[in-house]
Amino acid sequence: MKTTLVSPKNLSEATLGKEYTISSLCTKDDELKNFLFTLGCYEGEKITVVSVLSGSFVVSIMDARYSMDKELVSAIKIAC
Amino acid sequence: MKIALTGNPNSGKTTLFNALTGKTAQVGNWAGVTVDKTESEVKKSFSNGISITAIDLPGAYSISPFTSEESITRDYIVNENPDVIINIVDTTNLSRSLFFTTQLLELGIPVVVALNKSDLNEKKHIKIDTDKLSKILSCPVVTTISTSSSDNGLEKLIKVCTLEQNNPVLKGVIAGQSSIKTDKERFDFVKQIIASVEKRKFKSNQKNKQDSMDRIIAHKWLGIPIFALVMWLVFSISQTYIGPLVSGVLVGWIESLQSWVTVSLENMNAAPILVALLADGIVGGVGAVVGFLPLIMVMFFLLALLEDCGYMARVTVVMDRFFKKVGLSGKSIIPMIVGTACAIPGVMATRTIKNERERRTTAMLAPFMPCGAKLPVIALFAGAFFNDSTWVGTLMYFVGIVIIILGASIIYKITGHKAERSFFIMELPEYRFPSIKRATVSMLMRGKAFVVKAGTIILLCNAVIQIMQSFDWQFNVVAQGAQDTSILASIASPFAVLLIPLGFGAWQLAAAAITGFIAKENVVGTLAVVYSITNFINTDELALVAGNEASIAATMGLTSVAALSYLMFNLFTPPCFAAIGAMNAEMESKKWLYSGIALQFGTGYVVAFLVYQIGTLITTGSVGAGFIYGLIAVSVMIGSVCVLMIKARKKEKVKG
Repeated sequence: MKTTLVSPKNLSEATLGKEYTISSLCTKDDELKNFLFTLGCYEGEKITVVSVLSGSFVVSIMDARYSMDKELVSAIKIAC
Repeated sequence: MKIALTGNPNSGKTTLFNALTGKTAQVGNWAGVTVDKTESEVKKSFSNGISITAIDLPGAYSISPFTSEESITRDYIVNENPDVIINIVDTTNLSRSLFFTTQLLELGIPVVVALNKSDLNEKKHIKIDTDKLSKILSCPVVTTISTSSSDNGLEKLIKVCTLEQNNPVLKGVIAGQSSIKTDKERFDFVKQIIASVEKRKFKSNQKNKQDSMDRIIAHKWLGIPIFALVMWLVFSISQTYIGPLVSGVLVGWIESLQSWVTVSLENMNAAPILVALLADGIVGGVGAVVGFLPLIMVMFFLLALLEDCGYMARVTVVMDRFFKKVGLSGKSIIPMIVGTACAIPGVMATRTIKNERERRTTAMLAPFMPCGAKLPVIALFAGAFFNDSTWVGTLMYFVGIVIIILGASIIYKITGHKAERSFFIMELPEYRFPSIKRATVSMLMRGKAFVVKAGTIILLCNAVIQIMQSFDWQFNVVAQGAQDTSILASIASPFAVLLIPLGFGAWQLAAAAITGFIAKENVVGTLAVVYSITNFINTDELALVAGNEASIAATMGLTSVAALSYLMFNLFTPPCFAAIGAMNAEMESKKWLYSGIALQFGTGYVVAFLVYQIGTLITTGSVGAGFIYGLIAVSVMIGSVCVLMIKARKKEKVKG
């Protein structure tokens, strides 16, 4: 049973250019959660890391590019 | 009739606003340039004679506010009841923008959607069926290109708005749609719309040329050298090439004006004191400042190009890493970059920072960036003492950044580590070819502000300085060679004593530094008046200050090291009264304000002391004048900061 369970990955471990589905947002900050929601970053949505620059992540959500820091990216849990 | 302009950040609201009204509100190719609402009349050529007021609002992603700018937008729409809302939608980003659109449609106010940046669609191979979109949303949709001066769809947009004004709209639902209950349903609705109206040739999450460019420009190690090179180029172009070329002409005019004033006053048998006041004090002093106008304008033209093409937004990505370490985030960088033009909008831009400590810290530190008013001072000293070297200006920017980072870490340590983690997210604007027109507008605006300031506050200060230096306390005219008895000398001398350890103990230099606190351009103006140097810029050679550099340096009696120290003292002490006023408004705390001013004075003093004493030690082998006194003063300052930091740490420990 154990082997079939894939531990939930977060976005900082994503392969560049690969599209993932957001499985959850791991933060207690509801305001942040709501804000991300308005950008289209919520459970079930598609998300892609385009590149990593100077320690920040360039993330593509819907049709926009955002620069996010590692803390934020780590809070976004993903599934393939 | 009132029309409110709303939309996502960086969708081009302010550009559209400027195009509609002929105003020149500040625009930028990144999110969050507009932090407050602006109102203005729409040009009659668009409105067909009807009086229409357009209201530009800060960008918002949603009607429920998460940032202070977003709440300005929400409050305005909900409370002020505009007649029509223009929802500016970035065509290339329909999927996100329509979320906000659907919320606006439920307010019961007529909405007109402006599909802006529609010129980009062709480039990106995106096709949008506007008729279908209009039908689904049951509101008019107009395609616009607000950056273009003709065929931009603006006339049609305004026409549609006037027609739409009296069209009754249902509140709470989008006409023809079943009501949306949750935000998730809202996004699902948006997705349905996108699926039926939008055709994309390329998926937007694929790596493109822009991303490859980002990898170089915002590279971990290359990012900073590239930024330094860019700034060096900006200085080199404005200070060494184009600036002096134009300055030469301007200075010629000022000189002829000055001699004309002198001659005509002498012909009228005016008192010599009056001639001196008008010709040397006002025309000479103001002229010395205005002589640097071309340099500043060229510089702002270049900075506007850099911002417009999307480069400055990448700089925030490069710097984020360093700011993170000292308790600030990338959000703090935007006010600092805005502050390179002027510290006041820079300090005001801190409003977008939610975390209070972070906001106050940023407002305290943003004025350390060399602003437009400091440029003449930099240019003067670079010219008079350092052979017009471009590195002087570039160095000042980077010293400013280093001071900001050091300052932030000190404040972080004193105010205590709060366990709150701040997240940083910023939309990356697309690179684009910068608009010459917008850069020109920005340049002319800055130029105008500079001239207005020179004609008012600088003029007044110079007149006062000239009078104070011409008379002694008994109101007798000061004799030639006895300038030390003047009112100015006796006021400035006590301060000059304090400045001896920094390498510049002359009362003239102290006076210039003091007037610099009112407005930084005053430093140049006052130096011109107190040393009776008519012009800093040599017109024969095409170089700022070249030719008579030796004489200026000799008149001021400063070594190169002392000159650098004086320059840094002026740059890193409090910028001007107006900026302090802005700090007061944004910090909302007298304690923070006074600490901020103290920090700025302390920093200016310590930096100047270190530069002068270490520099003198290296160049001459022994320390400079007043070393011991200065060392005591600097030790006390550093010591008290250390005490505050230790206290904070103890407190932290007690709290556990």
